[in-house]
Amino acid sequence: MNTLQRITVIVGYEWRRAIAKKSVLTLMILAIVFQTLIMVVFSRFAAGTMFLTDEDKPFMWIYSVLQGQGLFIPLIAIIIAGGSMSEEYEHGTADIMLSKPVTRVEYMSGKFLGGFSLLAMVEALPTVVGVVLAVWFFGPQNGLQYVPFLFLAIVYSSLIFFCLSFTFSEVLRRSTLAILIAFAILIASSIISQLLASLYMMTGEYLYFHLSRGIPTWGASYLPSLLIKELMTLPSTVFFASDPLISFEATKRGVSETILVREALQQAAIIVVVYAIIFILIAVYRLRKSDVTKKTA
Amino acid sequence: MSPQPIIAASNLTKFYGDFKALDSVSFGVGKGWIYGYLGPNGAGKTTTIRTMLGLLRPDQGEVQIDGVNPSKDPVHALQSVGYAPELPTLQTFFTGEQLMDFTGKMFGLAERARKERTKQLIDLVGLKEWGDKKIGKYSKGMVQRLSVALALVNDPLVLIMDEPTIGMDPEATAHFRNLFTTLSEQGKTVFISSHLLDEVQRICTHVGVINKGRMVFTGPMTQVLETFTQQWVIEAELEKVTKTIISALKKLDYVEDVKVEGNKLRIELKEKKDLRGEISSEIFKRKGVLLSLNLHKITLEDAYLRALKGGQ
Repeated sequence: MNTLQRITVIVGYEWRRAIAKKSVLTLMILAIVFQTLIMVVFSRFAAGTMFLTDEDKPFMWIYSVLQGQGLFIPLIAIIIAGGSMSEEYEHGTADIMLSKPVTRVEYMSGKFLGGFSLLAMVEALPTVVGVVLAVWFFGPQNGLQYVPFLFLAIVYSSLIFFCLSFTFSEVLRRSTLAILIAFAILIASSIISQLLASLYMMTGEYLYFHLSRGIPTWGASYLPSLLIKELMTLPSTVFFASDPLISFEATKRGVSETILVREALQQAAIIVVVYAIIFILIAVYRLRKSDVTKKTA
Repeated sequence: MSPQPIIAASNLTKFYGDFKALDSVSFGVGKGWIYGYLGPNGAGKTTTIRTMLGLLRPDQGEVQIDGVNPSKDPVHALQSVGYAPELPTLQTFFTGEQLMDFTGKMFGLAERARKERTKQLIDLVGLKEWGDKKIGKYSKGMVQRLSVALALVNDPLVLIMDEPTIGMDPEATAHFRNLFTTLSEQGKTVFISSHLLDEVQRICTHVGVINKGRMVFTGPMTQVLETFTQQWVIEAELEKVTKTIISALKKLDYVEDVKVEGNKLRIELKEKKDLRGEISSEIFKRKGVLLSLNLHKITLEDAYLRALKGGQ
C-alpha cells in the first residue's frame, strides 16, 4: 500500500465515524428547517414591500444559500473537526489506529480530508435546498450558473472553522473543550470584527480597519458574498444593499466599490488559507512530537 | 537466543514529567518464542508495549521490530505486528465483521483475503453469531476476543498482547492459551504482558520481569525458575505439631529452616532433593502422625516474587 491508499482508507473510516454522530445529522436537519422557515417568512411577509422588491426576487437563491451558511455550517464544521482527533484519544481508539502500519501524518491527513470532504458534502445540501427554495417561492432565478462557484467559496471559507476546531481537537485532546473553544472564538471574533469595523467608520482610523480584517472569521464570513458581488451585478435595492464598510471605504478613498470588492475578496481568500495553514501546522507538530495519549474518557 | 531477536529493546528510558516510568530497559525476543512480560501494577509493562508500537517516544534508547524502529518507520515495522491492547475500547459504530474488514484494509489486504480472514477469525474466537452485530452490544469478554481476532487479521509474525485474557471466562482463556501455543509452533512470536502467572508458566518459553521501570530478569522460563530457586520446600501436615518434632527437624543437616502454621510445617531444604522419606522417618521417630507430605518445588509465582524482591 502506498501513502495515498493508506490515507484513503482513513478517509473512509472518518466518514463512517462522523456520520455515526447524531449531532451532525441533527444540525443538518435544523439548517434545512431554518433555511425553509426564512424563505417562507420572506415570501409571505416581505415580498412586494420595499424590503424585498420584485427586482430582488430573481436573486433570492443567493440569499437563500448564504443564510444557510451563516451559523449552522460553521457549527457543523466545528463539531465534525472538534471530535475528529480528540474522540479517538478519549475512547482509546487512537492506540488501535496508530498501532497499524500508518504514519502519524498519514493518519492525520486521512482524518482531516475525511472530515473536510464530509463537511463539503454536508454543505452541498443547503446549497441545493437553497436554490430549490428560491425557485419554489420566488420563481425563476438569475445567475444559477454561479451556484458551483458559490458552493466552492462556502466550502473554502469553512476551512477556517474546520482547521481551528481540528487543531484544538489535537492540541487539547478533549472534544467538548475543543468544540466549545472553537465556537467561542467564532462568536467572539465575529463580534470583535463588527466592533472594529464600526470603530473604523466612526474614527476613520486604519488600524481598526486592518484589525477587523485580520480576525479569523472575517475572511470566512465575507468571502462567498464578495465572490458573488465580483461575479454578478446585484440590484441596488435595500435587500442587496452594499456592505456599509465597503461603501464607507469607497467614499473615503474615492475609488469604486467594484475595486474594493475585488481587493477584499483577495484579502479574504488569503486570510482563510493563511490561518488554515497555521492551524494545520500546529496540529501536525503536536501529533508528531508528542506521545499518543491513553484513553481519557 | 536466536542470532537476531525479532523484538529488540535497548536501553529504553521513558519519563512522564519527573516520573521515570522506564529505566534503561533492555531485552530481546527471539523468533517463535512466547515471551511473558511480568510485573506489578505500574511497573512499566504497558509503557514498554506502547513504546514498542511507536505510540510513545522514548527519552532514550530504542525498540526494533524485525530490525525496524516503529517510531521512525511504523509502516514497515508494524506491517507484521498484531496488537491487542489491555481492556480495549473498539469503535462501537462498526459491527465486528466491519471492524475486521477495516483493520484488514489498514494492512493492505485484498477484499477476498479480508473476507476470508474475517470469517475464519470470527469463528476462531467464537463470535460467529455476533459478527454482524454492532460492537456497542458486545460484552467485555466478547470485545476482548474480538480484539485478539483483530490482532491476527494480518497473519502477524509478532503478536503483542497486553493482558489478553482479562475478562474472558475460563473456557475462552484455555482456548486462547492453546491458540498462542499453536501460533508459536508456527514460528510466530508472541509477547504477552500478564498478571496471571500460572497462565504464563504454562505457555511461555521465556520471561521478562520488570519492577519500578527496571528490568529485573529476562531469560528462558527454566532459567528464571532455576535462578530464583534457593531451596525446595516440603510441606507436612501433622495431627499435632510438637516442639520435639520441630527441634529434631531443625537439627537435620539438610534442613535450612522450619516454619510452623497451625498443624502445618514448612520445611525449607538446603538441597534441591526429594527428602520426603527422611523427613517422614524423623517425624515418626518423634511420635508424630503425618496427614500429608508434599514436596513443593518453586513456581513462577515464587520466582517472580523473589525477582521483584531482588530488584528492589
